[in-house]
Amino acid sequence: MYSIELKVNGRPYSVMVDLKTTLLEVLRDKLFITSPKVGCNTGDCGACSVLLDGRLVRSCITNALTAAGREVTTVEGLARPGEIHPLQRAFHEHYAAQCGFCTPGMILAAKALLDENPEPTRDQVREALSGNLCRCTGYVKIVDAVMAAAQEMAGAGALKAGRG
Amino acid sequence: MAEGGFYTAASPAEACALLARHGDGARLLAGGTDLMVAVNERRFAPQVLIYLGACGLNYIRVEGGKLLIGAATPFAEILKSDLVRDQAPLLAEAVAHLASPAIRNAGTVGGNLANASPAADSATALLALGASLKLTSPAGQRVAALEDFFTGPGQSVLKAGELIEEVIVPAQAQGAGWAYRKLGKRKAQSLSVVSVAVYCPLADGKCRGARLALGAVAPTPLLARKAAALLEGQKLEAGLIDRAAKAAAEETRPIDDVRGSAWYRRRAAEGLVRQLLGQIAGQ
Amino acid sequence: MELKVVGHRVKRYDGLAHVSGETRFVDDVIIPGTLTVKALRSPVSKGLVRGLDTSAAEAMPGVAGVITAADVPCNAYGMVPEQPVLVAEAIRYKGEPIAAVAAVDEDTALEAVTRIRLDIEEQEPVLDPLEAMKPDAPKVRPEGNVYMYGQRPFRQIVFGDVQTGFKEADLIVENEYFHPSMEHAQLEPQVSLAVPEASGRLTIHTVSQALYFHLGMLCGILQMEPNDIRCQAWAARTGSAWRHNAGFSDLNLAGGTVGGGFGAKNDLHADHVTALLALKTGRPCKWRWTREEEQLYSTYRGAWRMTIKDGVKKDGRIVARQMKSIRDAGSYTSLNAYVVDKHCFLAAGPYFIPNVYVQGYCVYTNKPPASSMRGFGVTPTTFATEVQMNRIAAELGLDPWEIRFRNAFRLGELTPTGRVVSSAALVEVLQKLAAQAGVDLPADLKALTSARKGEAS
Repeated sequence: MYSIELKVNGRPYSVMVDLKTTLLEVLRDKLFITSPKVGCNTGDCGACSVLLDGRLVRSCITNALTAAGREVTTVEGLARPGEIHPLQRAFHEHYAAQCGFCTPGMILAAKALLDENPEPTRDQVREALSGNLCRCTGYVKIVDAVMAAAQEMAGAGALKAGRG
Repeated sequence: MAEGGFYTAASPAEACALLARHGDGARLLAGGTDLMVAVNERRFAPQVLIYLGACGLNYIRVEGGKLLIGAATPFAEILKSDLVRDQAPLLAEAVAHLASPAIRNAGTVGGNLANASPAADSATALLALGASLKLTSPAGQRVAALEDFFTGPGQSVLKAGELIEEVIVPAQAQGAGWAYRKLGKRKAQSLSVVSVAVYCPLADGKCRGARLALGAVAPTPLLARKAAALLEGQKLEAGLIDRAAKAAAEETRPIDDVRGSAWYRRRAAEGLVRQLLGQIAGQ
Repeated sequence: MELKVVGHRVKRYDGLAHVSGETRFVDDVIIPGTLTVKALRSPVSKGLVRGLDTSAAEAMPGVAGVITAADVPCNAYGMVPEQPVLVAEAIRYKGEPIAAVAAVDEDTALEAVTRIRLDIEEQEPVLDPLEAMKPDAPKVRPEGNVYMYGQRPFRQIVFGDVQTGFKEADLIVENEYFHPSMEHAQLEPQVSLAVPEASGRLTIHTVSQALYFHLGMLCGILQMEPNDIRCQAWAARTGSAWRHNAGFSDLNLAGGTVGGGFGAKNDLHADHVTALLALKTGRPCKWRWTREEEQLYSTYRGAWRMTIKDGVKKDGRIVARQMKSIRDAGSYTSLNAYVVDKHCFLAAGPYFIPNVYVQGYCVYTNKPPASSMRGFGVTPTTFATEVQMNRIAAELGLDPWEIRFRNAFRLGELTPTGRVVSSAALVEVLQKLAAQAGVDLPADLKALTSARKGEAS
């Protein structure tokens, strides 16, 4: 067993892991941060997605030891006290979440996109989210939400409902 | 049995030494996008992991007309690299269709090649570009042409204690035609059913040293030598393209699996080669 | 009166929780001391369990309990109560659970499963429904390989007289359609957490889409129906030591937060096993299926073979439809019989056909049980009947829009099951759709309404 230190949502933690512990297991089973989900455990569905040093990764196939000394962001880390992130608001306003299981990973994938490309086209949004599966919504409202959030974050004014 | 452990190698030499010392139970770990799947599915229980994330193998540079890519370079870096887009656009195109953004942020070109899947998406493009690999072991270094690297599904010429240190890609020639297409069950994050990469340098409008590579249609990524030989010194026109496409299909040795039948793969390979050569002819 | 909800855009009450990661799905419920459950599954499609020895698994440090069929008070459940929680003797599909382990962690549970000694007499399975329908086919179940709808081995719909209809037709268009099986692939796999409470109740955090169905079934399995003689005898035979004669109030299903179902969670998959292990060990037990288990062994839409024979007039009207459908139900009835019903009821689609004859077969094979999936049998019907419409149009040289207007239900017409159409709108929907799609319909089609049939014939 090894002791590693890492930051999650700005807070430092120290956890015990072994050679096969995944970052997802650290988050869910040791730190009780349950927004990243176990959908497949093989990196195929995206429900476990988190940001590692700001980059979108699959926590279910990230060896925990390689996350030592690094910073993890989950959706719990997006909201500031008293207000939620524009992406979260947009997902809620645009009905981009139905069952909600894919939503945390989807929001983080969108955040990773907007951090790099603040004014994406709808095609670029689809491409950036192509590794996050959703079986409920058919994706259209998710793309709507990301486009709306992008507009708000770029300071384009009030959130517009409907297709961006 | 070697003692268990997690080592962060400070250099490729140290990684090799650790690999050689710990033998069969040791594995190199970069992005882990193949290894950790095997671990999660309980197909493999790691005893020793040698982490390559900090040993200086994450780089992309150009030297002497060649693109040099460190083996532990994540695909996301390759995809956004201006150097790759300028020197080897065929590789950039293939990587754009590899897996999905999150996987590309972690998965590395060295890991993809060492895993030696016949469907490895970077292999098809790199074969077409005549890439070679710098292999490092405690005994020293050697350079192996990628077309000699794969020996079977999941198998390569890598010896015990040996790792891929660098991928060497000759820059694409001025005015060379190139094209890539991948068929999968989805548009993204999908194992290739068939993939084809074509690189066709031209001199006076005639093919010189064309290379056709196909993925997921043989026990290893496949270089279609006979099809390429047909093109040598010739102008690309419909009849020649048709013959080359048929020749390429005949060189394939596909199997039936859950993603497609051998019958389909052979026909799709022919269709794709015809399509891509036609695309190049029209450029 | 001012309406506060109707006519207003209402946000999902769980929307904020979803986007902030606070929604607590079953796997997110964390109770200290929870044991991890893993199952021993049959490696063969058909066979008989000749020996089952769990002692080595039970003796392993870290294993809190192992259950087999002997531990199940009433080992038969389902819409037709024939499906065992754990195989007693007859294996009906590859992957069928035979035993289950509750241990301190996943590694221990998986190791314990490998230490269960299982002896199987393998038998010849039948995997093709057409083979299964033959008289000499291996029996999937003792009652035979075809579900009986009363006296008939198929669901039958008779409306008018198809033979007369075929004689009146200008052309017969007959085609076969195959709809393969489909997995729901909902993002959240089957997962269940059963918690024995200090009060004596059993709480089950469940992904069930059908809480009351499952409350009833679980009470039956756990022998919480004191008047069920069969269950009392089973309980007496197994000498099970835990409580009997409890009622609905002793079982608390905590559910409603489901990470996707689409019909995947209308059947018990894990709740019965976790409940039994929780009662046996006295500790919370959680079973989370892997994606592989989900893909291979959970319920799914079974495959369909359909034959549609239509008698049509030159103007596109369908005057007779004969349909035969065979549903591959897998090894247990579950919701298959009902799925076949709905499939057959909608054989005419949204169209008026004066003569209809349908036979729907529910056929058993040695595969995991198929069950409900979005559309409940009607989706495959629609696939076949809509392609059939286009093929009819092609054979008659008609436009695929026109043929649908020609046959669309009008108010007051009868469905093949004898119901009066009191609300019809296909004509208007097609007109609106054409306008949105930029298709300029001819004037006579634009003039049609659902109130009366067009004059052209």
